[in-house]
Amino acid sequence: MKLELPRHNQLLLQAITTPSCLVQYTDIEWELLIRQARRVKLLGRLTLLLKEHHLWDTVPPRVANQLISGFVQAEKLQQLCSWELNRILWVLEDFDTHIIALKGIAYKLIDLPYAKGRLSVDLDLLVREADLADIESLLMIKGWKHRPISAYDEHYYRSWSHEIPPLVHTERETEVDIHHALIPVTTQLKIDTALLFDTAIPAAGHPKIKLLSPVDMVIHCAINLFQNNEIANDLRDLLDLHDLMTHFSQQDEDFWIQLTDRANQLKISHILFYGLYFSQLIFSTSIPEKTVTRLNSKPGKLKHRIMHRLVPLALFPQHPDHSLRSASWARRLLYLRSHLIRMPLYILLPHLIYKTIRRYL
Amino acid sequence: MMVNQIPFKEFHLLLNQGLRVAIGPFNVCIQTTYKPLAEQLYQLYRHYRTAQNEIAEFHVRIVTERSNKNPFEKNVRFLLDGQSPFESFPQAQALAALEWGINLAIAVRVSHLLLLHSAVVEKNNHVILFPAWPGSGKTTLCTVLSYRGFRLFSDEFGLMDPQQGTFYPIPRLMPLKNESIAVIRNYLPEITIGKSIPNTQKGTVAHACPPEESIQQSTLTAKAKWIFFPKWIADSTTKIETISDSEAFMLLASNAFNYEVLGAKGFQAVAYLIRTCNCYKLVYSDFEDVMATLQRLIDET
Repeated sequence: MKLELPRHNQLLLQAITTPSCLVQYTDIEWELLIRQARRVKLLGRLTLLLKEHHLWDTVPPRVANQLISGFVQAEKLQQLCSWELNRILWVLEDFDTHIIALKGIAYKLIDLPYAKGRLSVDLDLLVREADLADIESLLMIKGWKHRPISAYDEHYYRSWSHEIPPLVHTERETEVDIHHALIPVTTQLKIDTALLFDTAIPAAGHPKIKLLSPVDMVIHCAINLFQNNEIANDLRDLLDLHDLMTHFSQQDEDFWIQLTDRANQLKISHILFYGLYFSQLIFSTSIPEKTVTRLNSKPGKLKHRIMHRLVPLALFPQHPDHSLRSASWARRLLYLRSHLIRMPLYILLPHLIYKTIRRYL
Repeated sequence: MMVNQIPFKEFHLLLNQGLRVAIGPFNVCIQTTYKPLAEQLYQLYRHYRTAQNEIAEFHVRIVTERSNKNPFEKNVRFLLDGQSPFESFPQAQALAALEWGINLAIAVRVSHLLLLHSAVVEKNNHVILFPAWPGSGKTTLCTVLSYRGFRLFSDEFGLMDPQQGTFYPIPRLMPLKNESIAVIRNYLPEITIGKSIPNTQKGTVAHACPPEESIQQSTLTAKAKWIFFPKWIADSTTKIETISDSEAFMLLASNAFNYEVLGAKGFQAVAYLIRTCNCYKLVYSDFEDVMATLQRLIDET
């Protein structure tokens, strides 16, 4: 099956995969590119790509200023996340445990190529379930607070989610998301967090911080995209997946075998399947042919076809001036899908009704 | 092409599709089909240059929608790249919503320049900054100065290139609030001011046009030489008082929109300003008096 994208999305994809073609972009195309890149948090990435390919001098000044602005903001948010982690480690100094840094901050700690331009708004951490209550109260003693949320949302987080309500320090603004699992509790799939800690690797220079093993990091990224989230405007996250797989497979030739083995062991191979498929389809990730065949379970043909149609329409940003109806529908359907696979119906229906009513009050 | 060189019909058509206007260093693409707003813009934006074939940094729209509270009433909504950062506004506030929206867009997006929250004018090729919080009267003072021999840079944004140390003019409509509206209508009866818009979040607002020459010269940058932290106090005589570099630094840095985002560059830019400028606290109430004082200071240095 081939990838079919609307013209404006092609402008964005080409810019990321083949930056050399940017020299031919007209002003109108540049403008449309920047507006889309901003929407899917890729201004920093474009800045790095243009500099890497020695094309910076060919960028129209009005575009260059916007790219720099985006890059400076990404840099600042990364600095804030690093500082927040530093403060959390200070609180946990006397607490004998490890925490796992997830997503953006983890990509920075392993020096993933292009991580410097990644816009990470929140700090995401994974802790052992047994440590959760202690860590939460230690942080609250030292000035972190939960944002005021409704009793319903509180219940949602505490009973059904894989994270506690976000914490923010009173003197700062960075949101800290503390997870005790990678998948919401209501999902049928279960991944034992202890398994992730068993294979986690130490982060250089930070004795208390661990990082998911390379294969788990990839699996977590795929789970977030295709299990936990609604996919709309998540192109950046698929690009993370592409970056991670490209990076790790260059470092370790057994990476692909380890990845599929781990996915089979954790019983999430059908989720990894989508990760492999869409990363290859959209970013042409070089994945050995045999990798997919090693997966124990794959989505059925019909499901796969439907996802092939819907996912790119949702991942890529809408045209900023005229939304495509097909893309709006794709987003709606994937939103429903994300809920259906996340919650059993007896929780899901009241939840959606509640959310709909609240929107109109 | 200037807006006032276009017949209203054509202007209205352009607004329907997206009118691009050059506002200081930025091009803003404004789209609306709401005719009363088109009429207001045609009057107030007449001296601005259109930039139909250039890249625009900001794409804003004002759309009408049915009010949630009263189904017989219509509201307007401000959209930036199709996203809505505010709740909707009553239709009568369309112009205020548009102007605030553009300010917000500049404040949250621009990080290649240091953004001071300041009124800025120029005299003898030197920039004068009046950094102040909302409610301190900087827009009112700025309106008076810009029609009495000073060139308007902005009533809201000090846009500084942190590498060059220069300021970019960004003359925008000046939103006079509450009592200031009558004060300015009396003091400067000749200038164009839009309709008063009552009951906004900031009370009654009326937008004063920047002087035509200030808009025409809005590509000419300049370096800062004076910084006044202004305070309007009723019936006070004009007082100026030099302040220490360290106090000026703190006042200036803490009133920038993006000082922290710029990191070391922000620090260096503010330090450069403090090193190269004369910094004062300014208390005033009378326009003639404050202008005489400023003029004296300018002539002396």
